[in-house]
Amino acid sequence: MSPVDRRRFLKGSLATLGAGGAGAAVALGSNASAHASAASPDLSTESLRVDQRELMVRYPFDGEHQAGILTPRQLQAAMVSLDSIAQTPTQLFLGLQQLSVRIRQLTQGTSVGVEEIDDPPPDSGILGPYDAPDSLTVTLAFGATLFDHRYGLASKKPRHLTAMRAFPLDRLDPSRTGGDLLVQVCAGQRDTVVHTVRELMRVMAGTFTPRWSLDGFQAAQRNANPHASTRNLFAFRDGTANPDVTDDALMRQLVWADADEPAFASGGTYMVVRAIRQHVEFWDRVGMLEQEQMIGRYRVSGAPLGGTTEFENPDYPEDPEGKRIPLNAHIRLANPRTAQTAEQRILRRPYNYNRGFDEAGDQDQGMLFVAFNQDPKRQFEQIQLRLESEPMTDYITPVGGGYFFAPRGAASPADWVGSGLARA
Amino acid sequence: MSESPSSSPALPRATGPGGVRPRRPGRIVIWLGAVVLLAVAALVAAAVIPGSHHPVGDDAVAQRAVAAPTPSRDGPVRVKKVFDSSISAKRYGTQVAQMENGYNASGPVSDLSPLPVSAFDRPVAVYRRYAERWAARLGHDVVPLTVALRAGNRGLARRDWATAFSDYLHLGAVYGLLPSDLNNDLAGMPGEIGDPHFIGLHRIEMGLWTNQPVTSLAPLGAKLSSAVQRLRAELPSTAVDPRSSRVRLARGLVAVTVDPLDFTLRIHEILEDAQRDFMSGLDVPWSGAGVLATAAGVAATKELLSTVKPIMAGRGDAYGTSEYWLHRLGRVFDSIRRRDGGYPSLHQLTPDQLELIDGTLAGTLTALEQVPGTLETKTFTTFPKIPQGEATTK
Repeated sequence: MSPVDRRRFLKGSLATLGAGGAGAAVALGSNASAHASAASPDLSTESLRVDQRELMVRYPFDGEHQAGILTPRQLQAAMVSLDSIAQTPTQLFLGLQQLSVRIRQLTQGTSVGVEEIDDPPPDSGILGPYDAPDSLTVTLAFGATLFDHRYGLASKKPRHLTAMRAFPLDRLDPSRTGGDLLVQVCAGQRDTVVHTVRELMRVMAGTFTPRWSLDGFQAAQRNANPHASTRNLFAFRDGTANPDVTDDALMRQLVWADADEPAFASGGTYMVVRAIRQHVEFWDRVGMLEQEQMIGRYRVSGAPLGGTTEFENPDYPEDPEGKRIPLNAHIRLANPRTAQTAEQRILRRPYNYNRGFDEAGDQDQGMLFVAFNQDPKRQFEQIQLRLESEPMTDYITPVGGGYFFAPRGAASPADWVGSGLARA
Repeated sequence: MSESPSSSPALPRATGPGGVRPRRPGRIVIWLGAVVLLAVAALVAAAVIPGSHHPVGDDAVAQRAVAAPTPSRDGPVRVKKVFDSSISAKRYGTQVAQMENGYNASGPVSDLSPLPVSAFDRPVAVYRRYAERWAARLGHDVVPLTVALRAGNRGLARRDWATAFSDYLHLGAVYGLLPSDLNNDLAGMPGEIGDPHFIGLHRIEMGLWTNQPVTSLAPLGAKLSSAVQRLRAELPSTAVDPRSSRVRLARGLVAVTVDPLDFTLRIHEILEDAQRDFMSGLDVPWSGAGVLATAAGVAATKELLSTVKPIMAGRGDAYGTSEYWLHRLGRVFDSIRRRDGGYPSLHQLTPDQLELIDGTLAGTLTALEQVPGTLETKTFTTFPKIPQGEATTK
């Protein structure tokens, strides 16, 4: 393609995108794939090509709640925690405002645009001339430290927001813990996530500076049953007992901030993020029986021990002494399914992570645990305290993370996430 | 370090350096039987389901599942069928669903008859005497450390600290059994900055390697001495109960017991912990004494394994394989030990030395994982069923 052709191509696509949005973009996509298949119709090309329809899936950015909370878990994620270096509240608010503007563009799909030839392009361009939405969601959440003396935000602080508590078996690395602002990026493709972080860092430069980050991925759904939960790095199905996100009343009860919170908090939720190292070599040395008893489920089917199917009720009242499912099995401690523990349930949205190898040559893998709840003390911490006595603690080490508050979504394209901080 | 296989005392027949990962004896035969019974469906499971543990035939099967029937040099080829079956590849996801959903077998039971719990009486007793000897040695070696701390001699104190730390880690299987406050007083790590309960060997380590005045550490030396005395007083109370054959470590009203499973798990857990906490530098952040600490773990593991040698006889090759790898690992540490008997710190290791330790340690742990299954004391039958009709689905 000559430079002239390329420019015309770009212009053309910009025009159609402006007019037709996603539909036009699909046309663009199929155009591109037609080229590819004409050139080399072999399997290697075919298998590398992304389903264009998937790239065009879009979640709204504006709304009562932020996307990326109840949204079905995308395959790829990055969690970036940053500290604010804004000198004044105004700088902070401007930074957040710019962040929302850019997130809105990227999540809704945007053309890369052109600048004068001697200027740096406004977009890195690594996704090509059009940033397809690709199910992208970017969720912003604030750490307790943002509400300290610096910006006069103490009165806005959500009631239950604190620094993450260190549990007895945690080995938290301060350089992987906490932060003023958490940016959760989730999308279908890895390059979409990488591109998004890269573009957002440009917007945030000078206002927010990175503290820690962690990349996550979800297991591919290999089971034709779309409801089957995918596996974590211990090979067990994860998320089976998650509350139903389509149940609004339940979400108001378990996820969204209570009415007795400051006005800023309404429509928001508390986000617990934990980097939990899973010692996979250790786990792989454990007998199958012991693995299943530690979890309380069969590894292959995910059914509770003694059951047949994944979503079967483990029926604890029938097994009071733990003969079938040990009393300290993970599923039993995490969710005892009693009337008293019903209000402790959390909405989990975890990812797996893989950070290569550690100093001793073991694989540095684990869970990027993400949970949304209405009150971490009432919910996440009660669960976590019970889990301190599970035998699985020998195979995991929480190393980082933090508590954050994800405020309500932007009301309209004129609004921004966190605008409640700036209101009197 | 290069080492010829012939230099090892018990090189197992099937396994050499870099050889095939050992498997529980008999497992493969039983597995094959099970696979045949489950017919085509089970074949799919073995290849595609992570839940089919101890995959049979390993790489050969796995590769057949994904590779083309005829190898091609021109790149990937679409698999039309799930390997060796009539199942269309298009139905892969459906087949996975059929295999996973409702597949609740946990694998065949061991072909080894379970050991009576009493078989562990002697190993536990032998190990207890070993631990007592090392506790006594620790009691002896902590004296010069306290003297060096009082005298303010950092060089001597560091050397004596290393000796005491190594002694303590030679206890190996015992440390998990001690009351947690005694464990903490001996070698606890700090919970948070300024933790007042942070007083043991690691507290002294911090002082000695962070330029705190050495004499200021003298009170910590005295506290360590009394903790060691308490250790020596409590260890002999570890008594073998002839009826239950369980080790009982009585302390007031608290009785800590260890069952045979825990005892056998420690045979690989000591080195797993050493790898995670010491070779990573996590638990020796000031001295970097990860090599010294891991070498002590090797010694403890060798002793522990030798206590169960009599009851592992005739139960497959797990003992021979483990002994071979522990010997090989011991040789690695011998080759790295300095002339004065000490070990280089983690950051003094050359990249080659670090790779040799990490790699041999990983090989050793892979061999040791076979030990607990070989020493099983129970026969697993099946999980009780959830009563039908009661259960509800979501």
